[in-house]
Amino acid sequence: MEENKKNGDKSSDFWFTLDNAAKIFPAVLSKEHTAVFRLTAVLKEPVKITAFLKALSHTEKRFPYFKVQLKEGFFWYYLEHVPQRFPVEVDDKKPCRAFDSNDMLIRIKIVHNRISVEFSHILTDGTGAYEFMKSLLILYSKELGVDIPEEFAYLQPGESIPEEEYEDSYKRYFKGEIPPMVSKSKAFHLPYSLQSKPRFIRKIMIISMPDIKNAAYQKGISINDFLVAVYLFVLQDIYEENYPSRRYRKFRKIRVQVPVNLRKMFPSRSMRNFSLFVMPEIDLRLGHYSFDEILKSVYHQIRLETDKKLINKNISRNVGSEKKIYVKSIPLFLKSLILRVNYYTKGTNQYSGVLTNLGKAKLPNETGRLIDYFIFSPPPPNRIVKENCGIIGFDDKLVVSFGNITKATALEEKFMRFLKNQGIDVKYESEKREEL
Amino acid sequence: MKPCANCGVEVEENANFCPLCGEPVVDKHTGNIDYITIRKRKKEEKALTDYQKLSSLQKRKLFWEISGIVLITGILVTLLIDLFASSRITWSRYSVTVCAVLFLNTTLIRFWPKNLMVLMLGSMTSTSALLILLDVFTGNMDWGVNLGVPLLVVAHILTLALTKIIKRAREKGLNIIAYSFIALGIFSLGIEGVVSLYVKNAINLHWSLVVIASVLPGAAILFFIHYRLKRGTDLRRFFHI
Repeated sequence: MEENKKNGDKSSDFWFTLDNAAKIFPAVLSKEHTAVFRLTAVLKEPVKITAFLKALSHTEKRFPYFKVQLKEGFFWYYLEHVPQRFPVEVDDKKPCRAFDSNDMLIRIKIVHNRISVEFSHILTDGTGAYEFMKSLLILYSKELGVDIPEEFAYLQPGESIPEEEYEDSYKRYFKGEIPPMVSKSKAFHLPYSLQSKPRFIRKIMIISMPDIKNAAYQKGISINDFLVAVYLFVLQDIYEENYPSRRYRKFRKIRVQVPVNLRKMFPSRSMRNFSLFVMPEIDLRLGHYSFDEILKSVYHQIRLETDKKLINKNISRNVGSEKKIYVKSIPLFLKSLILRVNYYTKGTNQYSGVLTNLGKAKLPNETGRLIDYFIFSPPPPNRIVKENCGIIGFDDKLVVSFGNITKATALEEKFMRFLKNQGIDVKYESEKREEL
Repeated sequence: MKPCANCGVEVEENANFCPLCGEPVVDKHTGNIDYITIRKRKKEEKALTDYQKLSSLQKRKLFWEISGIVLITGILVTLLIDLFASSRITWSRYSVTVCAVLFLNTTLIRFWPKNLMVLMLGSMTSTSALLILLDVFTGNMDWGVNLGVPLLVVAHILTLALTKIIKRAREKGLNIIAYSFIALGIFSLGIEGVVSLYVKNAINLHWSLVVIASVLPGAAILFFIHYRLKRGTDLRRFFHI
């Protein structure tokens, strides 16, 4: 990590610039649009708090790059190390609430049998958060007396921390000489009015993993592609309901933003943001799409868009724009203003929804035995997109968490109904906790 | 292991308080849960005084109402005493005018707390009117218009400029003192300029030049310490060099 090396001893005082994906967030943050996401492990038994706190104190030593605060520079924001413990609190407040300016960008929340970590997207992405959670859970299970097989790889305390984990990998894979950006047309957005503040509400759906696996494999596609297709199909349904006459249809495309973990394509051990997204779409000018047509289209679009050269082009474009001298030399308050306007007028206008899939969580059996399921809640959606969803699987449960800031729940209800019609066992997670 | 009735985690058998939520570890039955709920609510309420519980709008309203009562009472009482004592308005016009100007200024803060321009303009106009009126009351229309009002205008313009600069400063520290030094220097120039115009009918600057010559290097040193020395090596991170 360039800045770190310049700065000498990283264990006591280090700082780093925001990575390319994080740069937008400080400019668009608000009490509602917090850019805070949450990963929860629901255990089979109540959390044994003494063992947990011991495990956490070991874990935090392995992740020094998460002990940072957001600071304002003259031209950009940056992250500065703070020698403090990660904050641990009872999980009795709203999820994904904003961090204050003096807070670290991580918090750990516990209640009954739930362990949650909330991260600001300025700090890391879902993969970074998952690696942290994995180490925390493994160390917690070790505190409870289980032995973890040595061959199981995880970030464990005591080992040396590679410089690569601090790295902004976007910069490593940046290449000059790139064709200019072509912006996409405006996409359809949910027509529902916003909830009064605080707006963010989650709806959590638990899906049978064998059922959905079976349904996806019958169609010859992955679970991720299957769920993206369901999302597009449901959005099309909402669109047709709200604009029944084709004459009055003003939006032409429905797009879903699907983040892609770039570590799988470009070797990187970075624990900061290193993801981009693809945006499969359906063109409404071409008439109604059947589910199978959407499936086929999604399958091919995702493969086309995840072409390594194409992704590299997008990395280079994004990083290239921040490297331009005239962009660098704009003072921060002006830059934030421009970024904010661009975010709402160009960025979020291009897609109708977001589907983030963290994949299937892998833990050693000894730790896995303690866990019932995971929940991944993406950051509260902005007021244009209005709703998003996060997915994570574990064992025989796939959990979809919808984040919604509108008064309507049509998207999640239609999503559930569609899955049920496909013969998939799905139910809402009960928010009641009788045990408390 | 036993469960915490408040947050549901399991604590050590010998624990009296939960290490997570800090609540006493008690058996889980309705009475105890009620006890914990009340205890938590009391704790939260204890952290806030009645005044802290008010929103900033409510606080401003309260301040305005109290100051209104005090000032209007002051106006009425002094006016009545004066009337009873001398059967006409004599000395009370001073207190009435001062109270009226104060009330006007608190009203400005109540209704336009964030509009700096309105606040400054309102304060400048009302205080200028006060000075002129005091002049009128004493039967001497001299110093108020020629000395008091110009000095007031200079002071208000400088305060407005300084407040705007401080508000816009991204990093607040020694630079604020440096800005204030510069403003003080300019204010000295203004005072001497206005006073010499009043006394000699010409602008003759002497002592204020010494003041500005002293404060400018001081401000420069403060700027240097703030942006260069104080942050030291941090300058790299500040400018992303």
